[in-house]
Amino acid sequence: MASGVRLPLVRVAVPARPRRIPAWVLALPPVAALGVVFLHPLALVLWQSVSPDGGGHSFSAYGEVFAQAAFRDALRNTVLIAAGSTAGSLLLGFALALVIAFVPFPGGKAIGRFIDVFLSFPSFLITLALLFVYGTAGIANGLWTGATGAAAGPFDFLHTPWGVLLAEITYFTPFVMRPLLGAFAQIDPAQLDVAASLGARAPRIVRQVILPEALPSLAAGGSLVLVMCLNEFGIVLFTGAKEVTTLPVLVYGKAILDGDYAGACVVAVVNIALSLALYGLYRTLTHRIDGAHRART
Amino acid sequence: MNTGIRFDGVSVAYGGNIVLDALDLTVEPGEVMALLGPSGSGKTTALRAVAGFVQPVAGRVFIGDRDVTDLPPHRRGVGMVVQQYALFPHMRVDANVAFGLKARGVHGAHGARKAPRDEIAARVTEALEMTGMSAYARRYPRELSGGQQQRVAIARALAVRPGVLLLDEPLSALDAQLRSGMLAELARLHRDLPDVSMLYVTHDQIEALTLADRIALMDRARLQDCGTPQDLYRRPRTEFTASFVGNANLLPVTVTGDGVRLAGAVLDVPAAGAAAPGDPATLCVRPHAIGLGEGPNALRGTVTEVQWRGATHRLCVDVAGHRVTADVRELHETSSLGTEVTLHFAARDAVVLPATAAPVGPGGGAAHG
Amino acid sequence: MLVHSRRARRAVHAAFLALFLPVFALPFLVVLAASLATRWSGVLPAGATLEHYRAATDADALDALTTSLLTALAASAAALVTGTWAALAAKGSRARRVIDLLFMLPVAVPSVVIGLSLLVAFSKPPLLLNGTPTIVVLAHAVLVTSFAHQAVSAALDRLDPAYEQAAASLGASPLRVLLRVRLPLLLPSLSAAAGLCFALSMGELSATIMLYPPDWAPLPVKIFAATDRGALFSGAALAVVLMATTFLALLAVSRIRTRAVHR
Repeated sequence: MASGVRLPLVRVAVPARPRRIPAWVLALPPVAALGVVFLHPLALVLWQSVSPDGGGHSFSAYGEVFAQAAFRDALRNTVLIAAGSTAGSLLLGFALALVIAFVPFPGGKAIGRFIDVFLSFPSFLITLALLFVYGTAGIANGLWTGATGAAAGPFDFLHTPWGVLLAEITYFTPFVMRPLLGAFAQIDPAQLDVAASLGARAPRIVRQVILPEALPSLAAGGSLVLVMCLNEFGIVLFTGAKEVTTLPVLVYGKAILDGDYAGACVVAVVNIALSLALYGLYRTLTHRIDGAHRART
Repeated sequence: MNTGIRFDGVSVAYGGNIVLDALDLTVEPGEVMALLGPSGSGKTTALRAVAGFVQPVAGRVFIGDRDVTDLPPHRRGVGMVVQQYALFPHMRVDANVAFGLKARGVHGAHGARKAPRDEIAARVTEALEMTGMSAYARRYPRELSGGQQQRVAIARALAVRPGVLLLDEPLSALDAQLRSGMLAELARLHRDLPDVSMLYVTHDQIEALTLADRIALMDRARLQDCGTPQDLYRRPRTEFTASFVGNANLLPVTVTGDGVRLAGAVLDVPAAGAAAPGDPATLCVRPHAIGLGEGPNALRGTVTEVQWRGATHRLCVDVAGHRVTADVRELHETSSLGTEVTLHFAARDAVVLPATAAPVGPGGGAAHG
Repeated sequence: MLVHSRRARRAVHAAFLALFLPVFALPFLVVLAASLATRWSGVLPAGATLEHYRAATDADALDALTTSLLTALAASAAALVTGTWAALAAKGSRARRVIDLLFMLPVAVPSVVIGLSLLVAFSKPPLLLNGTPTIVVLAHAVLVTSFAHQAVSAALDRLDPAYEQAAASLGASPLRVLLRVRLPLLLPSLSAAAGLCFALSMGELSATIMLYPPDWAPLPVKIFAATDRGALFSGAALAVVLMATTFLALLAVSRIRTRAVHR
């Protein structure tokens, strides 16, 4: 301004631009907290597994643990039970969710809410209940002895892998159903109507219209349940089965009952590796679903 | 293939609510019948009863000579097109169109024994050509625009060569411009497929007037009126018809010996059959049938509103407390707000209807825009 | 609808109930019935009694319930604060993927291993927490933080940015936008997350059993101890107390949630 006119300074309307704190600084406190109570302890477990009591660092503890029959049994049990439970939960969950979503009946909504509550109860309650149903003095055996007059009933599988399998399928099926019900809600009912009017019967509609749409959720729910089964402890602990040992049970036994921390850490690392690999798969699948949904809308 | 549709006293109820009340209606083979009505009038329920998605509590549904009331949807052999297209999102366009052919099992057409696979491919190509979508066969539905998706949905319904095509608000999800294009397209399809009967559910009178051979007018779960579009437009039988099909001035009149009386003015409109002399009735005149200036059946009033609508002006005139709407081509200088004007109409452009206790339907007695 | 004929529909529903009721509803009924019985040697439990509940409300059991409630409250609060903070900081940050991944990790790691890792890390100075209630609370907090973080993250993604943009355009500082706009809008999801964290912590057994000091034994540990020594019926009574408390907490949270939504 060449002329000498002086403008009064206006200082009220424009607030000074606040100094912005960088996002990473804001993220620091929670990440640091997680680091102290989760990441660092986990790293210590890894460290301990390669640090034998005698000093130095070696993988000798791994060789020792891998050589034990108990470990190999536990590994096999864990994988087999987890795979079986996941398959069972997927089948049962798909069938039940299908009925709730597509063959609706009064009370179906209440069942959906019941499932939400079910998810927040601890797993060992299921084993506890099964003890009353199939235990040596439970309903099923009571029915049998009452009917035949025999001294003992035929149901004695709770302490075997089959008992664990049954309990895990019961407990984890709702974990499959919830994402499935979400996926089913996304399907336009008119698609089913049109498919039927084009001549498709119910099985074909399920196979060709519903299943492809639900497949990502089914895969995601399945891998989540697989991870949870690999990590399940309460159900196995409550059966009190001595012959059913899984990796988490082995960690507990070595650390708390035997005081063998190095051995416990080795088993823990194996368990984590197994779970993380599958969890990575789960995250990839859920990310792909999100992506697919975004592409569609 | 001569298949019509016949509703024989069909009633549908949901939890004690009657949503379709004793519908009697016949769609002739090759006819396009529009089910027109406001939402909740029962028109979609009637369509779903034909498709088999609702079970009537009374009455029978026939497709051709076949009583299909108890048949499951997949054995009824109808084609269906819905508002939101309902294309299977995980299938490409050609797989969508082939779905019905595979589900039904293709019967060798034209007596030729082709391999099913070739036959399906041929039928898919044919259906896509019919709707102008051949170039998009390998696309996924999400890669298509709304109008294109709807063409695929129509191709999918036609591929199974249904005798009956059910269309449930097929154009409602499209914008106005696309809609008029698709309307012309549907009319062409109907000419190309003269044997296919179509039941076309809509709440849009323009679609019904443009496309239908006949219109069945629904309101409150009941069939109110049925006739050709011209018939319903020119000679409505009820106030509801008059107000729902096209715009109408509905004016309360008293029947005299040889005409009707509107607020002191005697109009030379025959009221035969509508009401006895001395009784109240309703006079129905379309806005475009009313002219400005002196003439037969003159009405005098004050201009309360003037809207310019391109080719015409819409005048709202207060005639002794009644609102009369007139669409006039040339507007005189004098016809500005508040001026006194004279309106007139020809007797053949007016209909006298039996009076109803209260104004019926969305028209509510006044013309809508 | 998938099945159109009335008869087929009835058959499908019958099959559904035949699967659903015994598998999912029966366990709860059985535990409830057992908690009121003295013996179960036939189809139905026998010897109706409230004895187990009297035992379940004695000083020892009440202690366990209080322990569980306090642990769950503290762990949920810690998880909610950390999870929400992380979700808010991650939103719009380039480090989002890393933060999300870190906070999801505890779900994938077996609870027993989390217990072990805390034992390994906090059994020696400078942080000697082994044998204190704090280590139990820490374990629970780690285990439920993922759920809090995930719930809040998802809610943040659904939140229409127009609200905060409108607030900012009206001159609100970022802190004010956070406190007066974002957090209130997140309240329904926050309370849902709180309910889930609380319920999961109430039922946590796997990590707890690795860590609990004798004077800080939560309810699930007591239930396990009871069933392990063969006292199934008093175990059932304790389980009913646990379920009822969890259910009441969930109910209270959902009431808060509906009120927040309908405001």
